[in-house]
Amino acid sequence: MLRESAAIRHGSVPESARRRRSSCGSGAYRGEVLARATTHALVGLDARPIEVEAHLQRGVPAFAIVGLPDKACQEAKERVRSGIASAELEWPLRRITVNLAPAGLRKEGSGFDLPIALAILAASRQVPFDRLALHAALGELALDGRVRPVRGAIVAAEAALQAGLGRLICAAESAPEAALGGVEPVPVRHLAEAAAYLRGRAEPRPVEAPPAVLPAVLLPDLRDVRGQERARRALEIAAAGRHNLLLGGPPGTGKTMLARRLPGILPPLTRAEALEVTRIHSVAGVLPAGQPLVAHPPFRAPHHTASTPAIVGGGPGPRPGEATLAHRGVLLLDELGEFPRPSLEALRQPLEDGTIAVARIAGRILFPARFLLVGTMNLCPCGARGDPAVECSCSPARLSAYREKLSRALLDRFDLVLTMPRARSREVAGPAGEPSASVASRVIRAAERLAAAPPPASETARDLLTRAVDSLGLSARGHARVGRVAATIAALAAADRIDPAHVAEALSYRSPSDLALAA
Amino acid sequence: MTWASIGRGGHGYPALLAQLHDPPARLWLRGEAADALLRPAVAIVGARSCSAYGSQVARSLARDLAGAGLVVVSGLARGIDAEAHRGALEGGGATVAVLGCGIDRDYPARHAELARRIVAAGGLVVSEYEAGVEPAPWRFPARNRIIAGLALATVVVEARERSGALITADFALELGREVFAVPGEITSGLAAGTNRLIRQGAAPLLGDEDVLFALGIEAETGGGSLELDGVGEPARRVLAGLADGPREPDDLVRSTGLDAAVVAAALVELELAGAAVEAEGIYRPARRGRAPPPGRSG
Repeated sequence: MLRESAAIRHGSVPESARRRRSSCGSGAYRGEVLARATTHALVGLDARPIEVEAHLQRGVPAFAIVGLPDKACQEAKERVRSGIASAELEWPLRRITVNLAPAGLRKEGSGFDLPIALAILAASRQVPFDRLALHAALGELALDGRVRPVRGAIVAAEAALQAGLGRLICAAESAPEAALGGVEPVPVRHLAEAAAYLRGRAEPRPVEAPPAVLPAVLLPDLRDVRGQERARRALEIAAAGRHNLLLGGPPGTGKTMLARRLPGILPPLTRAEALEVTRIHSVAGVLPAGQPLVAHPPFRAPHHTASTPAIVGGGPGPRPGEATLAHRGVLLLDELGEFPRPSLEALRQPLEDGTIAVARIAGRILFPARFLLVGTMNLCPCGARGDPAVECSCSPARLSAYREKLSRALLDRFDLVLTMPRARSREVAGPAGEPSASVASRVIRAAERLAAAPPPASETARDLLTRAVDSLGLSARGHARVGRVAATIAALAAADRIDPAHVAEALSYRSPSDLALAA
Repeated sequence: MTWASIGRGGHGYPALLAQLHDPPARLWLRGEAADALLRPAVAIVGARSCSAYGSQVARSLARDLAGAGLVVVSGLARGIDAEAHRGALEGGGATVAVLGCGIDRDYPARHAELARRIVAAGGLVVSEYEAGVEPAPWRFPARNRIIAGLALATVVVEARERSGALITADFALELGREVFAVPGEITSGLAAGTNRLIRQGAAPLLGDEDVLFALGIEAETGGGSLELDGVGEPARRVLAGLADGPREPDDLVRSTGLDAAVVAAALVELELAGAAVEAEGIYRPARRGRAPPPGRSG
């Protein structure tokens, strides 16, 4: 259908191309046979400008792409050839060399298809090369000439704007995302449409405005959680103070259900934060269709079989991992004890400073990763510990191996630790819980208070903390953790200083000795 | 490195131990305080894979008995044994660990640090085996006869139907010493051994005062109420909620009608006051029957 419409609009394209060549005067294939298009390659979360040069020479017809293309980029040859043919444009029977400059940078992916096709069309005088020079282009070609979206449109758009190019020719699906990047998108559905636009024959059909941001109603709501008063309270504290949360307990006590409701009570992202998260999700190619802006704190829950690079980022052209995708949101590690130890240890850097450095010989790439970590774990490998109905069958050796998997260094990152036993009574059918929206309003107020000025500790609160260090065996780190949590609790209570009651409550979420060092 | 040893019949060989029908010919010692073997002692033994409840009982019992001046004897094994040693260290008393392997070994290896602390705190690690003897399954029952032999009374905290701790209890009965068993839920496998001991005539242990009474030592607290200075009204209500046994915080929120935040703070207050303990998310009153009624000022 697209092919039809293209043919209708442009009439007999080869004919028009011939006319265009003659109007160029000097003869199409004689003088200038070099044309350029601009596109962008992703390096980490940044887009680097890439100049796509197409050179047509006399000789046996051939087509080569040089400039360190990867496999997907090398295969652009076939898609570009078919795409140009399907758009009823002319494939120049020349020796065609396409160079992607700077040649030293590895080019990954299929986003070079559209700029390569446009550069070849410009070199063969089928589109005006001076007009092409005012645009950046990005997109994958289908064999029938349709333009498909690729990841990273928003960063490419931002880079184009920086380079002084005001317009980005891209797939219609990428247009809302490109608009967020600040450039004027030229949405095209088909290569023929792009050619017609560059010839000045057609204005791009505008894409329908993206729907307003996803309503919060679609996030899982705390209203569905009945009972669990203590866990709900811990969730609220975690959201208000951005404290990492560890939930322990036998399977089926609602640990995961609660964790999934955390994004719904987090303060909403600011515009700048939303753009930052959108950039990451765009580069990773996980933006949901029709929703260009990530307006809510993201929630990521990688399975414990995920590889370490999948969690912290990596690969030959390093891509962000789950930890970076959870930036400004929540990273849930369900069954923390089942994750391989290297993956857990790799998370220590982002938990410390909010970034992940992926080192390569070619350079070092920094990914932001400031997330709220929620871990869940059973109390023993068989899962029966803490469940009065089942008897634990774990040997002492297996039990200690399970607990020792979590290094002290990692456990120390959890400000809030909560053990959720299985309810002894069957009484779980209570009234519906407080909805997320009203919890969120308290969280927002507390977060604002903490950001303005964290409440100071009163004398009596300090005394209590000192006493706890002595009698509960709190470490220096634990002392600092309890202090932070107490400040959040005071902020939630709108108190102007930390009272002993706040410290006492904070102490109830400390690492229990049976999860920490068993010696 | 060399270790001191005491030969049977020699100076410092505990008379209680000599009452066994096959007392060890020689006892190797690690630690300076050889007189710890001569002071009144209580053995606290039990399952290696114990429950959180069991480890809490072992620990607090050892703490209280050590505080009353008794030496706590156990086997340095995982679970109840290790908790008994730790409790005694917390109580500031001496504790004796009896090994089932050569005196130079720390078995299990993870308790090497615990053994070091026992010795440093004026306790002893003892064994009838000289340095270099490997741990072997048949050596542990033999070790258990020494534990029973050294102690005036033996407390079994948690034991399955066929537990090594029951062997210790049998030796103690043969010697005519007091045997206590901590009663447990009749549906729990971990209480099967201890409950059977009670049916066979062992005294059920309800608190440290039972042991002290049997040994003719006056309990200091005298059954009085706990000091609950500075504990607020919510904490008292929560403690009253705990009176009927272990509760999870969510239950207490519902039964007291207090806010989850208030209950959490109250539970920590009670923990700091020594009136409640937590394990695996469940809170228990620290001592049975000693909680004051709500509203009474402490």
